[in-house]
Amino acid sequence: MKGIVGHAVRLPAYAVSRDEIARAWQISSPGGQKRCVRFDEDSLTLAATAAQDCIAGLERAAIGGLLFASTTAPHLERLNASLIAAVCDLPAPCATMDLASSLRSASSGLQTALSLIEGRQGDTVVVCAGDTRDAEPGSGEEMLFADAGAAVAVGDQNVIAELVSATTVYDDFLDTVRRDRDEFITSFASKFSTDRGYVAPMQTAIQSALKQGGLTAQQVSKAALTSPDKRSHLQLAKKLGLTENQVQDILFNDVGLTGSAMPLILLSAALECAQPGDIILVAAHGNGADALVFRVTDNIRSYKSGLPISQQATRVPYASYTQYRKARDYFRRADNGLEISNVLYAKEEHQNVRLHGSECSHCGTRQFPVTQICVSCRKGDQLREVALARSGTIFTFAQDELYPSPFPPTLMAVVDLAGGGRIYCELVDCLPSDARIGMPVDLMFRKFKEGGGLYHYYWKCRPGKGL
Amino acid sequence: MTRSLAQEVAVIGVSCTKFGENFDQSLQEMMVEAGTAACQDAGISVDDVQAAWLGTFSPGFGGGKATITLSDALKMRGRPITRVENYCATGTDAFRNAAAAVAAGKYEIVMVLGAEKLRDRAVRGLQREGIHPYLESGSTAPGLFALSANRYMHTFGTDRRTLAKVAVKNHANGALNPKAHFQTKVTEEQVLKAQIIAYPFGLFDCCPTTDGAAAAILCRADLASKFRKELILLRGSGLAVMSGKPFLDPTVDYLGFPSTTAAAQQAYQEAGINDPVKEVDFCEVHDCFTWTEITNYEDLGFCKKGEGGKFIEEGRSALTGDVPFNPSGGLKSFGHPVGATGVRMIYEIVTQLRGEAGARQVKDAEVGLAHNLGGPGAVACVVILGREA
Repeated sequence: MKGIVGHAVRLPAYAVSRDEIARAWQISSPGGQKRCVRFDEDSLTLAATAAQDCIAGLERAAIGGLLFASTTAPHLERLNASLIAAVCDLPAPCATMDLASSLRSASSGLQTALSLIEGRQGDTVVVCAGDTRDAEPGSGEEMLFADAGAAVAVGDQNVIAELVSATTVYDDFLDTVRRDRDEFITSFASKFSTDRGYVAPMQTAIQSALKQGGLTAQQVSKAALTSPDKRSHLQLAKKLGLTENQVQDILFNDVGLTGSAMPLILLSAALECAQPGDIILVAAHGNGADALVFRVTDNIRSYKSGLPISQQATRVPYASYTQYRKARDYFRRADNGLEISNVLYAKEEHQNVRLHGSECSHCGTRQFPVTQICVSCRKGDQLREVALARSGTIFTFAQDELYPSPFPPTLMAVVDLAGGGRIYCELVDCLPSDARIGMPVDLMFRKFKEGGGLYHYYWKCRPGKGL
Repeated sequence: MTRSLAQEVAVIGVSCTKFGENFDQSLQEMMVEAGTAACQDAGISVDDVQAAWLGTFSPGFGGGKATITLSDALKMRGRPITRVENYCATGTDAFRNAAAAVAAGKYEIVMVLGAEKLRDRAVRGLQREGIHPYLESGSTAPGLFALSANRYMHTFGTDRRTLAKVAVKNHANGALNPKAHFQTKVTEEQVLKAQIIAYPFGLFDCCPTTDGAAAAILCRADLASKFRKELILLRGSGLAVMSGKPFLDPTVDYLGFPSTTAAAQQAYQEAGINDPVKEVDFCEVHDCFTWTEITNYEDLGFCKKGEGGKFIEEGRSALTGDVPFNPSGGLKSFGHPVGATGVRMIYEIVTQLRGEAGARQVKDAEVGLAHNLGGPGAVACVVILGREA
């Protein structure tokens, strides 16, 4: 039996209200808010955080593949999936690939991942997706496009949702297009586009998948359907003969349209509420459509998911449209030059990306970074490299108004990691008034600047799970 | 067994430029002013200086990185010049190295000159260095010291009002000092209401970014009476280096600076001081932020850990207190041109010991202590000077 073994969603802590966008452009608002990244997040960090949460309960050594799907990957040349695999501290023989160009790149990735584990018993493959599609200021899409990440792991051990069937159809239809030289999409949004470019291929793929699985629409417990707007998925559902309560809420009011991450987010949302025996359909569009059908197993009862969507409420709403726009390209404007050497990067990848430190066998002290002589007992003969915990508590912190930032103060924290090791990093996704000594935090990989033609990433921390 | 330098080195000349926004002076001009004036004060010419130590922290538009900066300023050719850089403890460490060379007998007369031009840039604070791409992003000096201050205040329940008293005191002292960057008194309310820079530090809890230079002429003690009747002698010195990344060291408690304690112990031992409260008459300490002075009281051994707040509240460190701290106005009010600060402290100690400090004169000043801290808290240097007994 093969199927889903883990899932996680990463919603940004930041959001902008659609009424604020409407006010800025003197246009009408569809209501609600959309999630958007802080200036130090991108599609890669969203996907990496989701992937990290997704594999938290899985055996890391068994992970044989990591696929990254996005239409807004930060690197066009440099394998994004490899960097995410390193952040997840996956073993070297892991297959890594980037999937791009389509809103269904993640659902295609899910099908690819399921075929990758065929005949490789015990193997796990992770599919993660992140998108941060920027729409032209003042356009209709600016109201819709949102940022988020998600990850789904597939395997053949402890499966929580077994694969029933999967289909895919392609269609070179002119709908939304972004060329290599474009910053924003060109859109043919119209009734024709919806009918011909979205409903038609989705219907074909879904009906074919259900038929292949010997199922009818009535047997579907939850249909996780991506949508090009606020409502078209309901029109599609009607055509398929699905009632509204069979359709997974697309989180339009709280989150928005999250691009290639959307099918994984909706699938994860459906799994969060699933019961054994449920039939879950997930389908995504984009120059054709993918459809996958899963049957939920008894393992769902004991499965511990990452941070549920309901616990990822907005922490820091942007006060205005202007702040939201400022955040989107802050680092690009604040480019502060090349300060990295690839020699140093290679030398320190284990400590800086994989978050490895040293543990002294004499005194048991864990420490960061990797060191040659123990900081505690000063012996140097029994230090070994270890992976440090990615959660801890704040020992002390500072609210720095002087450090250059689009939204000061910058919160800098000294964090004692669970099980030992101390790290110094920025505290993000937290209102300054909420920061406390002793506060539990989780570490996450974020961007810390741009410069010299590179994105620079490092670990930061955010208020811990449940806070 | 280390050899004590106590009583072997005399300071025969000192000088200091006006500290402040010296827009009309280049780094070189400040160095010429300080170097020439120190020689004059000692009654020697630049040609009599056999070796020099230059303390500068950061290379600026006008140089500062290499020894040639001093050679070109004073046209001091064909002699050894050594540049010292040790974070904000640069100036006192330059002095310490120069004193050791004199005590060793290698030279008879040497110069220590500290200079820094921070205001040639429009931006406040220190220029960001070529930092490690990962480990130090997000750091500024106020932010790094705030890590300590917040943990300290969390532990001992100290509040911002106590910190403000340090600013009030040091501004009051600076108001008596014609060479200070700021010569205005401030009130506790002004300090508390100022814009926050890095909590708990508001603008008035932070020292300014300042231009300035200071110099001292050191002479072998047995030859010094040729230049001065009443000698001021080095009693003891110490330098201690801890981690430059305390935020990665799980053994650091963030309640103070062990580097200060270690450097002070070395200096006290050399000077034969058992109880600094009784045996040291006044101190020039590193008050880069108000809280730093409070932990300095404790780390230097003038009170117990956690009692620094009480020390300032009781007025013990005031100009009229039993151990005046920063009669000059300190970094807070006199200013902090990094490499110059330590040498400026030597200037102030010597001026006080000579009884030439005017309105800010400490009564019965026989023994003075200079304390420089850098890094933050990674490097501490303590120098004790006294009148010849």
